[in-house]
Amino acid sequence: MIISKDGLSKIDYTLVITVILTVCIGILMIYSAGFDPINKVNSGIFKKQILWFIFGFIIMVGITLLNYQALGEYSMHIYIISIVLLVITLIFGRPVRNTKAWLNFGIITIQPSEFMKLALVIILAKYLEIRERDINRLRELIIPTILTLIPILIVMKQPDFGTAIMFIPILLTMLFVGGADVSHLVSIVTIAAIALIVPMILTYREWAGAEGSNFLLDFFKDVRLLLIVSGVLLFATVVAYVLHFFSVNKFLRKIYVPGSILSLGLLASVIIQNLFKVYQKRRILVFLNPDLDPQGSGYNIIQSKIAIGSGGFFGKGFLKGSQSQLGFLPEKTSDFIFSVVAEEWGFIGAIILISLLGFIIFRGIQIAYESKDKFGALLASGITTIFFFHILINIGMAVGIMPVTGLPLCFVSYGGSNLLMSMICIGILINIRARKFVY
Amino acid sequence: MQSSLKVKLLEVFRLRMYFFMSVSAVAFFLLLIQLVNLQLVQGREYQIKALRNRENYIPIPAARGDIYDRNFTEGEKNVMIVSSRPSFNITTIPAKIKSEKELITVIDILSRLLKIDKDEVLSEIKNLNPWDRVVLKEDVEFDTIVKIAAHQERFPNIDWEDASVRVYNSSEMFSHVVGYVGNISFDEYKRLKPEGYRHYQKIGKSGIEKQYDRLLRGRDGYVRRIVDVHQRTEGEEIGMRPQAGDNLVLTIDYNIQNTAYEAMKDLKGAAIVIKPYTGEVLAMVSKPDFDPNLIISKNNISIVKKLQTDAERPFLNRVIQSRYPPASTFKLITAIAALETERAVPEKSYYCPGKFTLKGYKDHDFYDYDAHGTVDMYWAIAKSCSVYFYQLGLLAGPSAIMRYAEDFGLNRRSGIDIPGEVEGFIPSRQWKYKAFGQPWFDGDTVNMSIGQGFVHLTPIGMCNFVSAIVNNGIVYRPRVVREIRTNDNSRVIKSFRRERILEIPLNLLTLEAVKKGMRLSVTSGTSGRLGYLKVPAAGKTGTAQTRSIRQEKYSQHAWFIGYAPYEGPPESAVVTVILVEYGVAGAASAAPIAERIFYKLNELGYFTSAGVASKSL
Repeated sequence: MIISKDGLSKIDYTLVITVILTVCIGILMIYSAGFDPINKVNSGIFKKQILWFIFGFIIMVGITLLNYQALGEYSMHIYIISIVLLVITLIFGRPVRNTKAWLNFGIITIQPSEFMKLALVIILAKYLEIRERDINRLRELIIPTILTLIPILIVMKQPDFGTAIMFIPILLTMLFVGGADVSHLVSIVTIAAIALIVPMILTYREWAGAEGSNFLLDFFKDVRLLLIVSGVLLFATVVAYVLHFFSVNKFLRKIYVPGSILSLGLLASVIIQNLFKVYQKRRILVFLNPDLDPQGSGYNIIQSKIAIGSGGFFGKGFLKGSQSQLGFLPEKTSDFIFSVVAEEWGFIGAIILISLLGFIIFRGIQIAYESKDKFGALLASGITTIFFFHILINIGMAVGIMPVTGLPLCFVSYGGSNLLMSMICIGILINIRARKFVY
Repeated sequence: MQSSLKVKLLEVFRLRMYFFMSVSAVAFFLLLIQLVNLQLVQGREYQIKALRNRENYIPIPAARGDIYDRNFTEGEKNVMIVSSRPSFNITTIPAKIKSEKELITVIDILSRLLKIDKDEVLSEIKNLNPWDRVVLKEDVEFDTIVKIAAHQERFPNIDWEDASVRVYNSSEMFSHVVGYVGNISFDEYKRLKPEGYRHYQKIGKSGIEKQYDRLLRGRDGYVRRIVDVHQRTEGEEIGMRPQAGDNLVLTIDYNIQNTAYEAMKDLKGAAIVIKPYTGEVLAMVSKPDFDPNLIISKNNISIVKKLQTDAERPFLNRVIQSRYPPASTFKLITAIAALETERAVPEKSYYCPGKFTLKGYKDHDFYDYDAHGTVDMYWAIAKSCSVYFYQLGLLAGPSAIMRYAEDFGLNRRSGIDIPGEVEGFIPSRQWKYKAFGQPWFDGDTVNMSIGQGFVHLTPIGMCNFVSAIVNNGIVYRPRVVREIRTNDNSRVIKSFRRERILEIPLNLLTLEAVKKGMRLSVTSGTSGRLGYLKVPAAGKTGTAQTRSIRQEKYSQHAWFIGYAPYEGPPESAVVTVILVEYGVAGAASAAPIAERIFYKLNELGYFTSAGVASKSL
């Protein structure tokens, strides 16, 4: 049974109203940001956002009527279609600011990478549901990792590092909630950290033109030496593992676990160091530390902090924020829309917006917690993860405690694809909650 | 077994959801703390930053005061020595340009359009507070402004503003008197910032422009403009209206300055004309000179540098900033010292064979340029007989000569209202011992009594000396500014009165004797050229032997000091001092210049009683 009408009576109206309020704040801010105080005209993009919202709302209601279990059944299809869309975007996409992230369908333009996030959440939820009992085994983590790496690599090719990086917290959070062994997760994070840190330090030193030699860094610079060392380590690990297989010796485990982490990390770092071009590595570096490029993202952060700080307690008033109205604040309809709220409506407005967004997260976690089945729980927590990281990174960036990534603020930022995806997600959450009573 | 596993899994799941929940709560809490920090704790600082972003203060320059000559009459068209004309400057506030890359690009395009040195501008910007306004090019043509205005998107944050350019109407003629303006230097800015000076403003660098800078400059106003990120104006209001600087009326007479300047045209040296009765300077010329119009723009720094390192030292005001051996003009001081100490009487004659032998351990001969025969003091002054003064000097003694030279203020500054004055040098016994490790010899006295040797004096010092003779021992402070007027000339703010700086008690008979000698010099002595003037003049020439540093044609400085009329009321007297560097001789090089000046003064009526009434206070 795909469609069931009995769910309607149990719709979570609190969540719906919260979302409507949040989107309305967003539309007002897009109106404000689109206003040109010199020519006294509005760019009118707020109207587009209203249309997207209406469209998204209808889709949301439609999703509410579906049984979310169907999503699980078609998870593979959804995933493959999303991947194909991403590939098509990469080939036929319209480059905007050197990034091929948008597909043009005549009157509307969509960003497939937004929908990819949801598709990944759905397929991971389904996989983890099926493998629930074995998920504490290391080899069960291989398939989810591959499923996540595919979109990451495609989106990096666009290149959109902000969105690509977003897939990693989704994977880790879902594995965590899905019951994966914490030590496995920590190992994966450690390997990734080693794989990234070594080439990043080398790139940074090269870029900054650091003088003098350092024994450790010289060692890392020599690729062959690195390969030999990590190869020997890996071989020793395998030997230890085989020995461990025949004789149960606790001491051997102490060798091959850290050994494998270290050797795999070093191997991966060799790959990254040699496969990635210098400018790509530098871009990752700037992503991690925008201070390296003060003229680019550094300027944006400064202006955003001025906008937020100058808003004070009560704000400067609607349409009266000098930072946004006079154009000092960049990307004010998307990346820095929170700064417009904080400037024009002050601390009070910012607190209200954060509270609304916080409630959505809280309700998402609650729905996951109360879900009647594992798939629903994983789906809800995956969706909440998407929201949570978007909010954390976007606002964190606006207030200057997170790197500049160009992620939109869910429900608030201008952008049809993100709004539509978010509305679909809300539809799914309502759906899951409505059906917790149905057995 | 199955259900227990399920329960265990559910337990793990719920535990992890709690963990997820706590992490989210902590993250939101962190955002909140940062928000409190930005909006409530640092709110005020960020408000100021936002204000600086959107407000643009465009200075409205104050008109600098004009400078007139002494013939200024209210309500008539007057000779303007220095005036100003409106112009445009191209400026920017570097902090408002988005990135260093953009700044370099913009400066690069502008440097080609405006023909300015790109690196110079960039290094200037680096040395300043980025929020300070930087003038990129001064006095830009209107067509260029139109070009920039038409392509504002290519020149983000480039402003143009009104400015006024100083115009020195007589070019070189007044260069040392009025001086010139230039860009405020870093040191000047640091010192004068509390007085409201701004780093982009002009400041008087020398002469009257420097001395009276505070009066001339007025106070700049500003327009407060609300701008967007592209510096498009959203609204503007006048924050403060500019206050024009005061005008100055000089004591200098344009016509006399012109005459002196023309007479000195191809020479090197100094000329000063002064009214001893008030201290008013009627003309002051120093050669070589420079054209202030060419060096006032900040884009012409290279020309200033070239002038500064020029071996001829054109920036030097030789009237007040140079010391020369006074030569025979100093004989008057020897005479006064001898008469005042009553060691000589003017009527006593000496025989001059053209040579004087100083008796001592080893005899030493001092020569004269001619054998003058038997001369008394009058004739000795008139003919500039050195042998007479060798003996007079020995009679008077070095201490008396030095004391009288000091009494006449020759080793002190006169305090003229032009900056940079230096004092003359008069030796002393102690000085000689310190400098050479030798006592004062009679030979030194002989040398000093005719103005050779150690004595070095400034033309302005000599001028005050002649003034003292004319005024019976009283000297008034020389000055070049007569009155200060409001910018529209409607009101006199201050009118300067004469200020006594010296009062030397001198015997009238002494002065009479010296004056008589000076008159005789004109009627039948070395200053003979001036004898043909309608006005009776008196004077003394001097020819200083000097080492020729460069390959000059003549290795002597020519002096003429004098005054006219010889016996008239002191209020009508005019003193003039001429010095020609590397001239032929005082009589040949310097006296003709004085002749032309006295001729002009007479023509302008300075010596008639009517002229006296109108031309003095």
